[in-house]
Amino acid sequence: MAVTLQQLTKHDDLLAGGHRACAGCTGANILRQVLLTAGRDTVLGCATGCMEVITTIYPYTAWRIPFIHSAFENSAATVSGAETAFRALKKRGELPVARERINFIAMGGDGGTYDIGLQSLSGAMERGHNMVYICYDNEAYMNTGIQRSSATPFGAHTSTAPAGKVRQGKEQHRKDLTRIMVAHNIPYAAQTTPFHWRDLAAKVQKALDTPGPAFINVLMPCTVGWHFEMALGMEMARIAVETNFWPLFEVENGQYKLNHKPKQRTPIVEWLKAQGRFKHLFKPGNEAIIEELQRRVDADWEKLLREAGEPAATPA
Amino acid sequence: MAKKFMKGNDSIIVGALSAGCRAYYGYPITPASEIAHAAALHFPALGGTFIQAESEVAAINMCYGTAGMGIRVMTASSSPGVSLKQEGLSYAAGAELPLVIVNINRGGPGLGNIAPEQSDYFQATKGGGHGSYRLIVLAPNSAQEMCDLTMLAFDLADRYRNPAMVLADGFIGQMMEAVDVPQAKPVPYDHSSWCVRGDEATRRNVVSSIVLDPHHLEAHNLKLRDKYAACARDEVRCEEYRTEDADLIVVAYGIVSRIVYSTVDEARERGLKVGLLRPITLWPFPSARLAELAVGRAKAFLSVELNTGQMVEDVRLAVFGKRPVHFYGRCGGVVPGGDEIVAEYARLLKGGGHESH
Repeated sequence: MAVTLQQLTKHDDLLAGGHRACAGCTGANILRQVLLTAGRDTVLGCATGCMEVITTIYPYTAWRIPFIHSAFENSAATVSGAETAFRALKKRGELPVARERINFIAMGGDGGTYDIGLQSLSGAMERGHNMVYICYDNEAYMNTGIQRSSATPFGAHTSTAPAGKVRQGKEQHRKDLTRIMVAHNIPYAAQTTPFHWRDLAAKVQKALDTPGPAFINVLMPCTVGWHFEMALGMEMARIAVETNFWPLFEVENGQYKLNHKPKQRTPIVEWLKAQGRFKHLFKPGNEAIIEELQRRVDADWEKLLREAGEPAATPA
Repeated sequence: MAKKFMKGNDSIIVGALSAGCRAYYGYPITPASEIAHAAALHFPALGGTFIQAESEVAAINMCYGTAGMGIRVMTASSSPGVSLKQEGLSYAAGAELPLVIVNINRGGPGLGNIAPEQSDYFQATKGGGHGSYRLIVLAPNSAQEMCDLTMLAFDLADRYRNPAMVLADGFIGQMMEAVDVPQAKPVPYDHSSWCVRGDEATRRNVVSSIVLDPHHLEAHNLKLRDKYAACARDEVRCEEYRTEDADLIVVAYGIVSRIVYSTVDEARERGLKVGLLRPITLWPFPSARLAELAVGRAKAFLSVELNTGQMVEDVRLAVFGKRPVHFYGRCGGVVPGGDEIVAEYARLLKGGGHESH
C-alpha cells in the first residue's frame, strides 16, 4: 500500500489556506496529510485546542469537509455519537445519500487526548466504534500558554513545570499513550510524524480501512512551545525518530511492527539542543537529567525491538 | 504596605499566599492560566504544593481531598472549566468543606471566546451544581480586590465550612494596577473536629455527603439552610456611590462597576441624578439594602451587566415591584463605554424607558 507523492497531489486539498496556524506550525501539515488520504467522504470532530482554534474561528472555517467541534474532553465521545447515528441511519436505509462508507475521524491534542480526554477515548475504543482517533501531540498545552501535559518529556520547561532554582522542568516521564491504546486490543494503533508523510498517509489509510477503532499518535513539533527556529519543524520530527525518542511503529491486531530503524543511534542530545525548552539541561549540574532521558529512550527502544521481533540494539 | 504593579490574575496568588494557602491544583484554560503559572512559580518556592491536574474534574477533587485534610486549598479556572467543576463544588458543599475557587469569567455559552463576560452569574449564585447549596461569591473590581477578596474568600470558606468563589472576568484578570501587598497574618482555624488527617485527633472523622435516610438528609439540608441564612445575614458586602439623592440607582459589579463609577459624576453634570450600588458579595446578595433604596427617593433601578440579563433578576426580587428595574447589557466580550451607559441613563430618566429592555 505504498503511497506516492504523485498520487497525493492528485487528491483534493481539503484544508483551506488562510487558517491561523503559527508560522512554522507542523500541525497544519498533519491536517492536510490526513485529509489528502481520507478524502471528502469524511466527518471529522476535533476537541478544543490548537487545531480547532486555528481552523474554525467564527465565521470562518478552513475545513472543506463536515466538521464538529466538541468540548475539550469529548472529541472521541462526540464522534462516537456521529458514527453511531450513521450506522443507525444506514441500517434503516434512511441516509439522504446512499454511501457505502463515511470516514469518522476524531482528533485532539495531547492535552485533550492524554489528559482530559483519555476517558472518552478509552470508552470509544473499548466500545469498538468504526472510527480513527488521531492525536496531534505537541507535548504540552500550547494553545493556552505552554502548560505541561502528561505527554511533555521529562526535563522540559513549561509554564506550569518551570525550570528555575527549585525545579528543573518537568519531573515526570511522558505517558506512553500509544501503548495504552494497544492495551485496548483495538485492531490498529500507530505512531508517526508529518516529516514521514508517506508513513503517515499509509497509516491513515490503513486505519480508515480497518473495521473498528483505530488510533494514530502523530508527533507535532511546535516552534512556540519547544522554542526552535521556525523553519526546523520537520527537522525536529525527523530527529525525534532518528534518536528513537519517537519511533515509527504500528500494531495490527496485537502484532508490533517497526516501520523505520535508524541506521545508527543518534544521541537524544541532538534533539534536545535545538530546543529552548531543554536549554537549562545544558547547565552544569543537570547532566543527570539528560542521562535519565537517554536511559529511558534506550530502554523503551529495546522494549519495542523485542515486541517487534527485531534483534536487540545492544547485546544482552 | 509594599505597593506592587501587577495583573489581577497574579494578585489572586498574592492574596492566596497572604491567606496562608500553600496548596494549588489547576488545569490550563485561557484567560485564567496565569493564575496557575504564578502558583507554579511561587507555591513550591514557599514550601507549598502546585499540581497541574489532568482535568478540571481532577483539580476540583484534589481540592476536595486537601480540604478534607483541613488544609487551605484553591483552584482557578475559567467558565467552561468551572462548568466541569460543578459536581466537585456540590460535593464540597454537601460535605461542608472549605475551599476557594476562582472563576475568570469568559464569553459563553459553549467554547464562546476568551473575552470578558459576566455570564456565569447564574451558575455561581444559583447553584451550578445539584442540590440545595450555596456558594459564597465575591466579585472584585480591581487588582487590589483580586488579592483582598481572595483572602476574604479563604476566611469565609473556613468560617462557614463551604466553598467560596472569587468571580472575576477576563478584563480584571488581565488589568494591571498597583496592589498593596498585605502584611497581615492569616487567622488559623481549628478543623480537627471534622477533618481527616490520620492522626489520633481526627481518627473517627468522616468526610462525606451521602445521607441515605430521607429524614437524616432533610435534617442535613436544614442545617445547611440555617448556615446559609447566618451567612446571608452577616456577610453581605456592597459599596455605594452617590445613592443618597439618586433618581436612578445603577447596580453593577466587577469591571462594569468601574465603568459605571466613572459615569456617575459625568451624568450628574448633565443633570442626571445617578448613583451606584456595587455588590461585592454576589451571594449573599445585598437584597435588603436594595429593598430599602426601593422605598426611598430613587425612581428607578438599572442593572448593567456583561450578559443578557442575570443579576437583574435578583435586583427585581429585591425591589419587588416597588420601582421599575431596567437592564442594560453587552455580551460576547464587548465592554460598554461610558458614553453609551450615560445615554441609557438619559433615555431612562428623560424618556421613561420600558422595563423589558
